[in-house]
Parts: sequence; C-alpha cells; structure tokens
Amino acid sequence: MANESVTATESTAAGPIELTSATPPVLEPARGYPGALIVVEGIDGSGKSTQLYLLKRWLEIGGYRLHFTEWNSSPLVKSATRRGKQRRLLTPTTFSLLHAADFADRCERQILPLLHSGYLVLADRYIYTAFARDVARNCSQRWLRNLYRFAPVPDITFYFRAPLDVAVNRIMSGRPKLKYYEAGMDLNLSLDRAESFRIFQGRILAQYDEMIESDKFVVMDGTLPVNKLQMQMRHFVKSRIELSRFAPKKAARRPR
Amino acid sequence: MKKSRADRTNGNAPKSIVSAGASPRNYGLSLPGVNDEEFGGSLIVIEGMDGSGRSTQISLLTEWLESEGFAVQTMGLRRSGLVAKDIDALLAENTITRMTLTLMYATDFYDQLEHRIIPALRSDFVVLADRYFYTLIARAAARGIQRDYLHGLYEMALRPDLTFWLNVRPEAAFEREFRKSHTISYWESGRDMSLSNDLFQSFIMYQAKMKKEFEALAEKQGFIAMDGEASVAAVNTELRKRIAAHLGIQRTHYRPSAALASLWR
Repeated sequence: MANESVTATESTAAGPIELTSATPPVLEPARGYPGALIVVEGIDGSGKSTQLYLLKRWLEIGGYRLHFTEWNSSPLVKSATRRGKQRRLLTPTTFSLLHAADFADRCERQILPLLHSGYLVLADRYIYTAFARDVARNCSQRWLRNLYRFAPVPDITFYFRAPLDVAVNRIMSGRPKLKYYEAGMDLNLSLDRAESFRIFQGRILAQYDEMIESDKFVVMDGTLPVNKLQMQMRHFVKSRIELSRFAPKKAARRPR
Repeated sequence: MKKSRADRTNGNAPKSIVSAGASPRNYGLSLPGVNDEEFGGSLIVIEGMDGSGRSTQISLLTEWLESEGFAVQTMGLRRSGLVAKDIDALLAENTITRMTLTLMYATDFYDQLEHRIIPALRSDFVVLADRYFYTLIARAAARGIQRDYLHGLYEMALRPDLTFWLNVRPEAAFEREFRKSHTISYWESGRDMSLSNDLFQSFIMYQAKMKKEFEALAEKQGFIAMDGEASVAAVNTELRKRIAAHLGIQRTHYRPSAALASLWR
C-alpha cells in the first residue's frame, strides 16, 4: 500500500474531508453529490500525468462514467494568460488570480455539475498545484486557502513524489527550452533558466511536502516502475471508491 | 501640508521586508514584494452606482487638483491592461458564472493596483479611483458569495485615504442612466439574477440590494456618504472641501474651464 499513515480512512466514502483546521468553511457545500473526485499532484516530471492517463484508460475500458480535466485548460482565460505571459505583465498575485478564475470556470461549469450528476472526475493537478506554486512565488498561504474555498475537496489526492534531480532531469531531457514563468524567472532566483527552474521546483516540492498530512495526500513513490505504480494506484482506488456506482447503467426496465 | 504615509508611521520603526504583513495601509496582508509603508501619495475613492455622477466629479476634481499643482492618476473597474478586454468579452456573452466573474474582476483590480496605483503613489500622485473593490464586493455579495470570502480576496488592497459614496435613489439613477444612453445595461439591472422580467423592476430590485450592501460597507469602512442627487456644483464643493482639508490646500475656489463647463449643472 502506498501510504497508510496519511490516508483518511473512513472519511472518503462518507462525510467531507476537512482541509486543515485553519480552513474556513467552504463556499458551497463540498459534498452532497453522488460523484467522486480523484486528483493527482506533484512537481513537473514526477510521473503523475502518465499515471493518471493509465488510470483513466483502465476506467474507460471498464465502461465507467468519467470525466478528465486538466489544470489550466479552460479557453476562458487563455487569451489573458497568453497576453500576460508574453508581455510579462503577471505578478505573483495576478498570476494566481488568473489561474483561480480559470479553475472557477471549470469548477462551476464542469467539475461541480458532473459530481452532482454522479460522475467520476479525474483531475490532472488541482488546487494544491496553486498552493504549492503560488506560495513558492511568495503569495500568502492564508490568502490562497481562502481564494480556493469554493473547490470541492477530493476523495483521493495522489501525490507523486520524485527526488528533485530525477524529476528535473526528466523534464530537461524531454523539453530543452523552458518558458519564463515555468522556470520561475520572475522570481530572480538565477539568471540561468535551467538553474532557476531547479530552484523553483525545489521550492514547490517543499510546499507539496508540507501539505502531505494536512491535506491527506496519498504519497506515491515516483521512482517505481510505471506498471507497478499503476497497480498500486488502481488497488487504492478500488479500496476507497465504490466503483460500481460509476458502472454503465443497465437499461432500465420500462414501467408498465 | 499633506502628510505622506511615511510621516504618519513611527519614523524609528524598523522597516519590514516581510511581504505577508499587515500595515495601516492594507487590509491585513501586503502584496508580495511590496512594502506599502515606503510610499506616500493619496488614494481617494468615489463610489456610487451608475447614474450617481461619479465620472463627472472625477473629471472636475482632476482639473481642480491639476490646477492646484497635484499630479493625478485615475483608475476604475475594467481598465487593466491585463484582462479588461477579456472581461468585456465575457460580459457580452452572459454565460460567465459568478465565481469566475468575481475572480476576473479581482485580477483586473490587482493588475491596476500593482501596475498603476502603486507606481503613482510611489511618485507622490493623487490617485482618484472611479469605484474601488467595494463595488466588486457588493456585486458579488448580492449574488450570494460569502462576504468573508470576498474580504479575504481583497485583503492586500490598499486602504484609501478618503472614500466618498454618492448615494442616489435607484429610481433617480434609472432616470439619469436612461436619459444618457436610452437603455439600461444587462448587468446594471442585474438581469443575470432573474429578479424580474420587467427591466425597470429588475433594475430597482437589484440596485436596492446593492444599496444594502453599500450601507453595510459604508459603516464598516468609514465612507463619507453624500447626496448624489444634489447639483453637480454642490457635490463638487463638498468634495473639494474634504479633499482640500486632507491635502492641505488652502484655497478651494474653483470654476471649471471651458472644456468642462458643460458638466457644471
């Protein structure tokens, strides 16, 4: 089992999982829907997207009702984000707010309605990405926790943890050119983009580690072989979520 | 003479370099990378619904302050370089949900705060704000978003030196707006809230809700409420009196130039 010590035993199937004791009550009731939300988190190169893809394929092949969503994918704020990045207008605060607006759009128009209609929602990155990255950019943690209060709390948050060197090397070998904000160049950590990226990712990793207990992350060892990790993930999902609820509905008998 | 913010704080106090700190100038947090105790200037806000005469007063005050030798910068809602155009497009579509709109407006607000207001205050300008985040809180709260959430969102905003609230009855605002543009906007009449199919009714009901939100804010934030239905000249005289006292201007005599004479009704 991936990590027994940090998992929230009974809380997943029944009542809401509390974020931290400092977190104020959520804007909308986070539960009271028949759907379930599975989230993967981790720094770039930790292997989380590959694993979520394989989990998605497994569930798709099984015919389960599911929806896949990614961080930063809504067309709504794309032009603003692009403009901000191109002209380097973004500050830590506006960078954070634009991503929150983008997430709010997805949350209100996709995630929440789908959870209410009984879907299994898989999210590649979620609000913890914002918490880790924006705190690494010196935004206030208190402000960020408040900002995302409207987000439904996941049933499972898989945290893919890989050592910084492993993750950074995976990224650097596959993507030779790092973008300005991606490398954290706005923070003046280093004039060298690769070095800045390394320091920035290190800060983000430290922030993720801080959240393991408070946000009940299920820690996954990102250095394990892909298929082994995937089997652990599937096993954990089966143990925590009653998948039959999402199975294809049999043709209902017509009432006479 | 006007006191800059630095004069007001204890000169011997160590300057904080920690970004996440409260200061007399913010609402509990400072912006990352901004030490708001190190700049002066004055931030003066005029709030009030459409048709309350805000923009007219801002034009007149700008001219008066410039004639008195003060450099003026203005701000308003939906004027940021970052997202103003995007918000315009979203509003035109009417499909945007309330949280997203709230956060897009917050982005617009903070972009102006960081790229326009703070640089101006650092250069000792008088910043005249044609609405401030108070309107954004009132609009979102009227749509059911929790007030403490909204105040948390604007915890890093700068506290204005003076905030005026031009108070008008919704009926009077409707008349003025209708006379000006011969129509009433979808958003100003709160059509997204399905209050009434009758445009006039919808406008009155929505603005009554907004007024309630403003009354609560006015008390908590110390707004200076003014009768927005009084003549332009009367409102302007009162505004100048208050601003002159704050900035240490001795003479408050002012007559608009030929360019602005038509506003002086």
